[in-house]
Amino acid sequence: MSTDMLTLLELQMQLRRAVLGGDTAEIVAAIHGDGLDPAARVGIYRNHAFATLGASLQATFPVICRLVDKRFFAYVAHEYLRGHPPHSRCLVEYGADFGDFLADFEGCEALPYLADIARFEWALNVAATVREAPPMRPEALAAVSAEQAAYVALRLQPSLSYLASAWPIDAIWQANQQNEVPTVDFSGGGTKLEVRRAGEAVAWRRLDPASFAFRTALADGLVVAAAMAAATLLDPAFDLAAAVQRVFAEGLATAYCLSPEQEPMR
Amino acid sequence: MTKDRPIPRCKTGIGLRSQHATEIAAARPKLGFLEVHAENYMAETVAVDRLLELRRDYEMSLHGVALSLGSAEQLDHGHLGRFKTLIGRVEPVLVSEHLAWSAIGGAYLNDLLPFPYTEESLGLFCRHVEEAQEALGRRLLIENPSSYLRYRHSSMPEAEFLTEVVRRTGCGILCDVNNIYVSAMNFGFDPIAYLDALPIGAIGEIHLAGHHAAEDVDILIDDHGSRIAQPVWDLHAAALRRFGPVPTLIEWDTNLPALEVLLDEARHAQELADVHRYVDTA
Repeated sequence: MSTDMLTLLELQMQLRRAVLGGDTAEIVAAIHGDGLDPAARVGIYRNHAFATLGASLQATFPVICRLVDKRFFAYVAHEYLRGHPPHSRCLVEYGADFGDFLADFEGCEALPYLADIARFEWALNVAATVREAPPMRPEALAAVSAEQAAYVALRLQPSLSYLASAWPIDAIWQANQQNEVPTVDFSGGGTKLEVRRAGEAVAWRRLDPASFAFRTALADGLVVAAAMAAATLLDPAFDLAAAVQRVFAEGLATAYCLSPEQEPMR
Repeated sequence: MTKDRPIPRCKTGIGLRSQHATEIAAARPKLGFLEVHAENYMAETVAVDRLLELRRDYEMSLHGVALSLGSAEQLDHGHLGRFKTLIGRVEPVLVSEHLAWSAIGGAYLNDLLPFPYTEESLGLFCRHVEEAQEALGRRLLIENPSSYLRYRHSSMPEAEFLTEVVRRTGCGILCDVNNIYVSAMNFGFDPIAYLDALPIGAIGEIHLAGHHAAEDVDILIDDHGSRIAQPVWDLHAAALRRFGPVPTLIEWDTNLPALEVLLDEARHAQELADVHRYVDTA
């Protein structure tokens, strides 16, 4: 097809392919040499895209970069960018599925915890950037009748993440904050983590299995009764009143609704 | 549509980077305005709170880098909505975007990419500018890009294209003097002729920044990563003679130096603007 007939959409799709590391043969036919190989001109834009988006990933996943070394990280980032370019135009939102990508990436088999570390770093990124909402006061639930109590669902802080891993990912991450990485003790098995923003800082802690199940269920939008059922399966002595009290005391809840009526949050 | 609120002419500002925010909040240097990339403040983040604290002391300009007005597909209405929300929060004196595209088919390429200047693209770009101005409730300033490639089937020069966009949509121009210089050197055109082709009354802001020469090819790269080069200061003086003193911004986005270096560049720009208040415009 002659370039005169090329529509703007076709041309932009061609440049997109070239910028994301694909074929440049199509687009160069539409470009003036102006004394240079047109492919070199396209290369300037491609280099910029990979350099800036790669730097964004490196800033979000510094421990992944350290664990796999810089060169391999550049290769992984390159492949991720090609297949998963940003959808959002706000780069702070880029990289949410990098952990899922790593889980299936060939060459990372020696580091089976890599995907979970990436998910942890993403959770830290969210907690570091996302604004906390004003906590809801427990008195707000006074309007709920006894019959409705079983249908209460809570909305939790937007900075919160819950992560379960078969590996001690918090210890691995912590060890990699130091120049000389100390030996990490894997004998304790996996971990269940809560990550959130706390004031001006990011905080995380390990939760016992029942509390983790309870809070994860709440975060997923389940009613309190269902979250309680999940927790009780893991710990028959699970104390619902104390668990709810802690959720409020820690400022985790920001709103509630009555399910299954699907009323708006208040 | 709301016009830009007038800021006193010949005000000089700097681009606000998060690394400098704490120091600016503490030292409160005297500046005409601060400009930020709108996309850095569109998510519900703590950065927005810090920006709004600075807003109490500084006029703000919102510079969009990802609306992708030149895309051959619909504007992203979600993105427009976030931009409008931010404008409501910040109440900026200026709102600007680019003569470029950066997203197609759901992929955001994080760059200001060139498109051919044709009757087809002119119609499309003008529709997008009109749609954005309507949705945002603000007049946009459209910035000329720095370019490293030109298309064979472009049928009009960039300055003519931009002038026609102004005539058809009522938008203004953000004249990036460094971009004119970089593109002029890369393609061998006369930067003064480019300035002379722009409509005087439409210039709402000037950008100044650094560039560097590429290592392996004979091309200037606009990287906002160094002091403003002397030929760009010279071109800026020519712009001031033609357009009068226009609000001017020092941009510095990579290899970020100490805040004092930016303030020093801003002082120099302000001195030039002050001098040109006493020079007749063309």
